[in-house]
This record gives sequence, C-alpha cells and structure tokens, in this order.
Amino acid sequence: MTKKKLQAIACWLAVMIVGFVLINALVYVGVIDAFIENMLVTIGINIILATGLNLIIGFSGQFSLGHAGFMAVGAYATGIILQAMPTTVGFFVSIVVGIAIAIVVAIIIGIPTLRLSGDYLAIATMGAAEIIRVVINNMKVTNGAAGLFNIPQFATWPVVYIFVCLTTAVIVNFAHSRAGRAIQAIRDDEIAAEAVGINPTKWKLAAFVLGASTAAVAGSLHASYIQTIAPTDFGIMNSIAMLIIVVLGGVGSMTGTFFAAVVLGVLDTVLQSFGTLRMVIYAVALIVIMVFKPTGLLGRYEFSFARVLDRFRKKKEDAA
Amino acid sequence: MTTLLKVDHVSKIFGGLKAVEDVSMHVETGELVALIGPNGAGKTTLFNALTGVSPATEGTVAFRVGDEMVSLDKKKPYQVAKMGIARTFQNIRLFHQLSVRENLQAAMTHRYKEGFVSSILRLPAFAKQEALANKWTDEILAKLDLTDVADVITANLPYGTQRRIEIARAVATDPQLIFLDEPAAGMNPEETADLAHLIKRLQTEFGLTVVLIEHDMSLVMSLAERIYVLEHGKLIAEGTPSEIQHNDAVINAYLGGGVHA
Amino acid sequence: MHTVLQQVINGLSLGSIYALLALGYTMVYGIIKLINFAHGDIYMLGAFWGYYVINTYHVDFIVALLSAMIVTALAGMIIEYLAYRPLRNSPRITALITAIGVSYFLENGMSYLFGANTRNFPQVVKQHNFTALGISISNIQVLILVTALILMILLQLIIQKTKMGTAMRAVAVDQEAAALVGINPDHVISFTFGLGSALAGAAGVLIGLYYNSIDPLMGMTPGIKAFVAAVVGGIGSVPGAAVGGFLIGLLETGVQAIGLSAYKDAAVYVVLILILIVLPAGLLGKNVKEKV
Repeated sequence: MTKKKLQAIACWLAVMIVGFVLINALVYVGVIDAFIENMLVTIGINIILATGLNLIIGFSGQFSLGHAGFMAVGAYATGIILQAMPTTVGFFVSIVVGIAIAIVVAIIIGIPTLRLSGDYLAIATMGAAEIIRVVINNMKVTNGAAGLFNIPQFATWPVVYIFVCLTTAVIVNFAHSRAGRAIQAIRDDEIAAEAVGINPTKWKLAAFVLGASTAAVAGSLHASYIQTIAPTDFGIMNSIAMLIIVVLGGVGSMTGTFFAAVVLGVLDTVLQSFGTLRMVIYAVALIVIMVFKPTGLLGRYEFSFARVLDRFRKKKEDAA
Repeated sequence: MTTLLKVDHVSKIFGGLKAVEDVSMHVETGELVALIGPNGAGKTTLFNALTGVSPATEGTVAFRVGDEMVSLDKKKPYQVAKMGIARTFQNIRLFHQLSVRENLQAAMTHRYKEGFVSSILRLPAFAKQEALANKWTDEILAKLDLTDVADVITANLPYGTQRRIEIARAVATDPQLIFLDEPAAGMNPEETADLAHLIKRLQTEFGLTVVLIEHDMSLVMSLAERIYVLEHGKLIAEGTPSEIQHNDAVINAYLGGGVHA
Repeated sequence: MHTVLQQVINGLSLGSIYALLALGYTMVYGIIKLINFAHGDIYMLGAFWGYYVINTYHVDFIVALLSAMIVTALAGMIIEYLAYRPLRNSPRITALITAIGVSYFLENGMSYLFGANTRNFPQVVKQHNFTALGISISNIQVLILVTALILMILLQLIIQKTKMGTAMRAVAVDQEAAALVGINPDHVISFTFGLGSALAGAAGVLIGLYYNSIDPLMGMTPGIKAFVAAVVGGIGSVPGAAVGGFLIGLLETGVQAIGLSAYKDAAVYVVLILILIVLPAGLLGKNVKEKV
C-alpha cells in the first residue's frame, strides 16, 4: 500500500480516537447529560442505518424502501436472545445472529426483487419489509403487537460509537474496492456493465445484503439501548426516515449521510420543545431544503484525508 | 488460421418481424472483419444476438476457448464478456459518474479477486490486487493516450474522447474478440482518421480480432480484410473490399435503397 | 356462497375507494414519474372538508362531495405549484422526499390546527340496509360504488375525448415533444394534479360516510395501499389503477373473511411482489425494454 494511503488511514483512526476521548471527557465533566447522550446514540444508530442504505441506493443505484425490515430483524434477534442470555456475550451473539438472519432474509427478498427497476423495486422492498413486520406482529416468540420490554442495556454510547466506526469503515471500504466499482458501474449503466463481464444480480445482491446486515446491527443496538421494541417501531415511516437522511445528505455521499444524520438529530432534539408544531416545522424544513438544494446538503461531495494530505503537500512544495 | 467465432443459421424474430434471418458467418483469429448494410438491415440486432444482450431466436453461435468451440447460446452477456468477447455501443454507454480509471477497472472485475474481508480490512492482499489493477489500467491508458484524463469523470469529457474510453474499457476486459458498433458515428474526418489508426492498432498491437459495424465506407474499405453485407436481415454478400465494391447485389442494396455509400 | 357474495360486495365498496385514490397516483406518476406520497393526505383533506361543510352549512351529500372535489383539486394544484414544480428537473428521488415532506406537513398541520383526535363524520345520508337472498347491502355501499363508477367514467371521457385529455396523454409520452407542438406542460401537469386530487377528495367524503370516522392520519395507510393498487394495475395505466384498486379491496376483505385479518396487509404485499415478479410492469402496464 502506498504511503499516502497509509497516512490517510492513520488520520481516520486518529479522528475516531479523538472523537471517542472528546465525548468521554464531555460526559465526564457533565456537558453531555443523559438527554444529549440519547441524541448522540440516536444519531449514531441513524448513521449506521443510513450509510448502509446509501450503499444500496447511492452506490448500487437500487431504490430500496425496506430498510426498517432488516433493522427489525436485528432488534428482535437481540431482544429475544438477551432474554435467555442477559450477558455481554449474549449481546454479541445476538448481533451475530441478527446479521445472519438479515443476510438470509435479504437474499430471499433480493433474488426475486432486485430484477425490478426503480420505483417498482422500492415498492416491492417496502412490501417485503411490511411482510416481515406482519410476521413479527403475529409470532409468539416476539410477543406479537405488544413487543418486548425490559431488554437489558448493553448498547451504551461507547458500544454504539465503536459500531458506528466499524460499520462505516466496512461500508466505505466496500464502496472503494473492486466491488464498489462494480456496483457503481451497474448503477450508471446496467447493460454496459453486463457487457464488460459484471454479473448484475450478484453485485446488486452483495450491496443489498451488506446494507441489510448493517441495518440489523443498528437494530440490535437500538433494541438494547432503548430497551423496548414493538413492531410499530419498524414500519414504512421508519424506512422513509432513513431515506430522508440519505437524500438530504446527498445520494452517493457518505460524508453527506453523516452530516444529515447529525443535522436531523440536532434539529429533532431542538424541536422537542415545540410540541405538536415540531413535525410541521420539520416538514417545512425538509421541503425547503429539497427545493433549494435538490441534490442534498452536500451533493456528491466526499471528504477524503488523502486529498487533504495531497493539498497540504503541494502547498509545502510550493512554499519550498 | 483458426476459426474464433462461428455463427450458424442465426435468426432473430421480434413478434412477426424477422430482423435477422438465417445468417451464417465466421471470424478467424486475428482478422479484422466488417459488417455493413443500410440502416435497419439488422446489424446491431445481430451484434446483440451474438453478445447475449438479446439472444437469437434460432441458430447457434460458438466461440473458441483454447482448443474447443464453446456454444454461446443461452449465455448471459456477462458470461460472454468473461469468455473474451468485448463490445462497444452505438450510443456511447460509459459509466458516466465514474472516472476514466474507474471505468476501466470496473471492466476488469472478472480479472482479479479482492476478497470481502481483505477489502474491508484493507489487508496487504487487497493492496496487491489494487496495484495489479492499477498497473493494467495504466498500460491501457498510456497506449490509448488517455493518461491525462485518467481521473476525470467521463461525463465531463468530449464526445471523441468518450468513444476512445469506450474502446479502452472494452480492451480492459482482456478480450480476444472485440465488436465495435459504429465507432465513427458523429466523428469529423480528422477524428475518423485517428480512429482508423486506433482500430488497426487493436488488431496489430493488442492482438485482437475485430468485428466492425460501420456506415463510413471509406473507413471500412481501408480497414477491413473481409466484409459481410447485410440487407433486410439477410446476408447478401461476403468478400474482400474490392470484391464487395464490385458486387451487384451490394451496389443495388445501397444505391437502390437510396443510401449513399 | 352467500358469504362469498357478501364479501365481494364489501370488497368492491372498499376497492372503489382504493381505485379512486389509485387513479390519482397513476395519473401523476404517468405524467411526471413522481410517487406523490401526499396523495393520501389530499384524501384526508377531502374528508375534513366534507365534515366541515356538512356540520357548518348543513349541506347535502352532493354539495359536500362536489365542493370537496373542488377544494382538494385546488389544494393539489397549489401543492404542485409550490413544492413540485421547482423540482421538475431535479433528481426524481428529491421530488419524492419533497412529497413525503408535504405529506408530513399536511398530516401534522391538520393535527396542529384541529387536534389529532378521531371525529365522527356526520351521517348526511341515513343508512338503510337492503337484504336480498341473504346478502345485505347498504345504501351507502351502493352510493360509493355508483359515485366511484360515475367518476371513473367521467375521468375516462376527459382523458379520451377532451383536448386537455389528449394533451395529458401527449405530455405523458414525451414532455419535450408535447411542448414543441404547442402544449404547455405546466398547465397540463397542474390540471392532472387537480383531476387526481379531486378524485381523492371524493374518496375522502365517501370513506367518511362509510366508516363514519375521520382523523388527520387517516390518509397514510389507504394512501400506501392505493399506491400498491396502482403498481399492481400497472402504474401509469388508468384502467390498471381501477382494476388494481378493486383487486386490493377484494383481496383485503377476502383475507379478513377467512379469519386471517392479522395477515391482511401481508397478503396485499405478497400479491404485489408476486405480480411484479411475473409482470414487472403490473397487470396492464407496458413493459418498455431499453434499446441497445
């Protein structure tokens, strides 16, 4: 690997560690209270969900509206397993089980539906997620419509923070590899992609499955942080909320997804005091941003340490 | 010489319309063959049938892999591409949001492997494979004079360059046979001359077998070693450029049809 | 046999509501390729308008229905003008998010202004049940079916016989070409929104009569179901939307009748996915293959 790339990786690791230390310090001195911590965890979980969805929509060009279904799979895996095994080991086992089930479900849903294009795919995946929800709603082990409560809390903010870093690294590294180029080629022109030897079904499915498994992780974290889950937490409106983050940030921009998740998380917290008017303001904000910034807040911009380092080096050379 | 591609009695029927009717042809290894015919003669339809985009209704197509002729019937386009047949499109189809380099590397997807784990953990194996893909890409870019624009998003490049990138992308699949669907369409005489030179190089320098669909007769006559003529979906003539130029059926098809060669 | 027929009648009544809503989805989609997520909320507006005029001015059913159609048509056209028209040339997903924003705005704006509680819709038409051969059908069901059918026939006449209808079909096929022959796409799109919204407004008043209760979130679920109906029928196809609407209505009541009401939504989506797998463009939609 080139020196430049290693430096960029080192920068990212440094950012992650500094962020962690910084939040820890702020919690310690009391700047971050339970209220803000709750906001940070929600933002973190939304980042995990939305980066995975952005991989599916922005990179592979497949319009999926069923992300909440996979989140439900992870949440219920954790909720159920933690009842039988209320230990840290149980928590991690439940995450793995959630991922495994999400992969199987994503393959079952993806093989027939990923042949559909555009809005047809959106509506089919939305339907599939609703089917998952109805099934959960009618199962005994999931406690039906009442849901599960008193789930032990293992997903504290440091755990969520680490998972945000992990899943983002997985998604971004996937997007910037052979696989990432293949799915972007399919997005830009499926016929041409096939003509250069790319198997569209295989690669679309790969992106879909990866996105689904990170959504399951987010579901597990959600279940063990909030400690209560019910089928209504994973409806169409929840899938749409994730879609909003992706589009607001800029389809295809992971930086944008982070930015939008933070902006929306803060906005939501600030608007808490407005009562019923909260959602009206939120709706107007959404419409206004879309009308004036149709490609999202950041468009297709992607922050890259490699580029920043390049510029830095050039300046140094110019100065020398 | 050995036969690289063998087309036997291929027909393509859309509803009641026979777009291609009972076409048989062969392409020898290392040849530069042209397929010509008036507009709507079924040339692109035939290309699509051969590359699996829209499979033939009847007939068989076989392609040489090593010492064997392997049937291409029922093969999907990506399988055909992996076997060593590349193509370009009449209406350029680039991955327009990707850079030139990424376009070429996407076309190499089947040529190297990056495991999921080594990609997401950025293991040394990943770096090695990326370096390999970059090396291949750099070679092609240098040979096709695209190094300067390597990191430019293809949508932002001029038309003539986009045509060249499409050919470069086809080369990146490491093919034996390359189909070029009207590569000179929309080009001025100067660009066409450059293109002719490039197509010749595909044959000589890259060692590729070339099948060319083209309307520009001077280009075809100067490049092709052998020409097939298609009219109303049927093959009406086959031969060297000079034979074709003097073939009555061909002259009739072009002049009688009101299309100026 | 009796129960089957009974369910068919119930299914058709519900289905005609879905069909009226699905028509709006399909027309808007056909012309600007937008999934108008706020369409279900237009239907809610229609129901609230009906509630308001009947309670305040004591008008009869016909006046309530027609005035609701006019009001929702205007609402649809205003929404199109303010929220969607600026995004005509933006990525389609942006317009979709805007439509979701409009939907949130209508739902929460109405909750804010009038409260989120459920209200009883005034019974402007007294319910009578006719019983024949052991099948019971209410005058309201007849009213719904007849009104829906009349509106669908009118719509078909507008689309096929009027100049505006021809313009709508032209813009749906090729907006630029239509503009070149002197059609103003903005007017046509605005008209389409008005027409679709009027149908949704009518459906709102009808459902108020049928179910007797209305609330600001009443448009969410039927909106999504109606969209599913439009997709099943073949989105962009007007007859397809009607067929899809009736089909979904019959399916829901059928599944409920055999005692699986907990699975009625799942059944709808299973049918949706199966139909899309077999017919990727829906029952009556045209499957357009990309030319290479």
